[in-house]
This record gives sequence, structure tokens and C-alpha cells, in this order.
Amino acid sequence: MLKDLDQALAEISAIRSQIARSVVFRGYGPATVATTGLLAVVAAAVQAALLRDPTGNLPGYLALWAGAAVLSAGLVGVEMVTRARRAHSGLAQEMLATAVEQFVPAAAAGGLLTLVLLAFAPEATWMLPGLWQVIFSLGVFASCRFLPPPIFWVGAWYLTAGLGSLALARGTGALSPAAMGVGFGVGQLLTAAILYLHREEGGGDA
Amino acid sequence: MPRRDPAPGRFAYEGLDRVIHERARLSLLTSLAAHPKGLAFGDLKRLCRLTDGNLSRHLRILEESGLVEITKRFRDHRPQTTCRLTAAGRRRFLDYLSVLETVVADAAATARADAAPRRGLVKGFAPA
Repeated sequence: MLKDLDQALAEISAIRSQIARSVVFRGYGPATVATTGLLAVVAAAVQAALLRDPTGNLPGYLALWAGAAVLSAGLVGVEMVTRARRAHSGLAQEMLATAVEQFVPAAAAGGLLTLVLLAFAPEATWMLPGLWQVIFSLGVFASCRFLPPPIFWVGAWYLTAGLGSLALARGTGALSPAAMGVGFGVGQLLTAAILYLHREEGGGDA
Repeated sequence: MPRRDPAPGRFAYEGLDRVIHERARLSLLTSLAAHPKGLAFGDLKRLCRLTDGNLSRHLRILEESGLVEITKRFRDHRPQTTCRLTAAGRRRFLDYLSVLETVVADAAATARADAAPRRGLVKGFAPA
């Protein structure tokens, strides 16, 4: 009997997860996402002012951008939990789990790739801004079905910006402030605009 | 140590919506909840293994309760009926699932408590 009851609980949980996958996630707030875009622009400005030779001061460059990434993730994460609880009361846990499941692999891959390049191929670190954007685009594409459909274009932007950065930013321009500032600044502001324009869609459904 | 009595109404399960708490309707709502764009009458019939008459009857009850909306239109010159869960329907269904989860979790807790002394007894006979 206990086995049957556990099976029933698992089935209820599966139904919830199935519903969660079919609902537009409203945990990402346009204002906070726009703030992360502005944070990228500010970080690029700080880099331009204080880190004239990022190739020669790689730890400084990484600290600046890792700091911006952690701060952005923290802001988005805290808001995501509060908004999801408000907007998806009955499904909040499942929706948050799905959001994390979709984006965290890309974020983890970006972090681990950075460590591996630093440890084993420091001559290839000029590729980091491009690779980060390509990996970020994969996270965005993975989250697409869960968000308003035009978010697909944000993924396309990050992919184009990342590949463009890899193709064009070699040598002295490799770690230029524009590579990250333009890529993430435009990408996050575009995301914020789409979220704002589609803020009422699928409203009150969970 | 004396066992504390649960709070009054702890096992009332008032959120078990009577409209939803029927096998065919539960099955219909579960199918529709997983298809936000709705399902055609024929697909629902196949997924829930219902006859035309039964499906129509249960859909009418769900529609009258505001849980489901039914649209009829022509597709390739043939009439097609599509059923979709309303926003209120999705909310009520999720509320229902929460209560159902509590019922099953309570039953599982009781079953575990009943099984525990028996396991202890068996263990007591086991060689040290």
C-alpha cells in the first residue's frame, strides 16, 4: 500500500511538472533584467577606465566580469523567487526548478570553461568574451519555450555577438570592453524590452 | 508520551472540488492542463478513453463550472470542436492537486507509522 501511495505522490508531482512546462514563466522581471544590462555597460566603462591592458592583467579582468556576473545572477535569482511565488503560487516550485534546470548548465559550462582555459590554455583566453556569449545563447535557447516566443531573438543576438567577437576580436582588441559591454548590454536590454512588452501574456494562469 | 490530537478540520479536505473529483473529469483536466493550446474533441476522446456521449456530458459540466472553454470552428470544411482549460480552471485544478497531494501524503504517513512497529518486531527476532 505504501508503495502505491508513493507512486500516487510521484504521479501528482509529474502532473505539476507537466503543467509547469506548458506555462510561460514570469519570474524574470523586466526592470531587474534591464539593470543587469546596465551593469554590463558600467563594467565595460570601469574596464575602459581602470584596466587599460586586460591581457596583461587577466586576474583583474576576470574579477571585474565575474563580479558583474555574480551580482547580476544574485539580483535575477532573488527577484525570480519572489516573482515566481507571487505569479505562479501553485506551481512556483516546479517553475523555479524548470528555470534553473534550463539555464544553470550553460552558466556552469561557462564557469568551468573559464577555469579550464586559465589552467591549461592561457594563450586561448582571448576567446573568453566570445565563448561566454555563445554559451549564454545556449542557455537562452534552452529557456525559450518557457518564455515569450520573441526571446528566441535574444538567443540569436548572443550567438551572433559571440561568434562576431571570436571572428573579429583578436590581438589587441581581444578583451576590449566593447566585446562584453555591447554583447551583454544590448542582449539584456533586449530581453528586458521583450519581457516588458509580453508582461501580461499567460497572466494569472497558475 | 500522549499523542496530540490533530487540529479540528485537519482531515476535512474541503478543497477536494466535487466537479473535478470524478475519474473522467480528472482525466480530462489532466490532459488539458498539459496542452495549453487545447485539444480537439477526438484527441480527448482517445486520450481519456471515453465515448462521444460521456465526453460531451463531462465537458458540458466542466464548461458550466467555468473550468473549460469549448470552441467550434470549421477546419478544411469540417467542423472541429476544441477544448481548452481556462485560467480559472488551471488555478482550480492546481488547488485540487495540492489538496489531493495532502490526502495521499497523510495516508502515506499513516501507512508508514503502522508499518514501523511491525518492522521493529521482525528486527527483534533477527539474530544479533
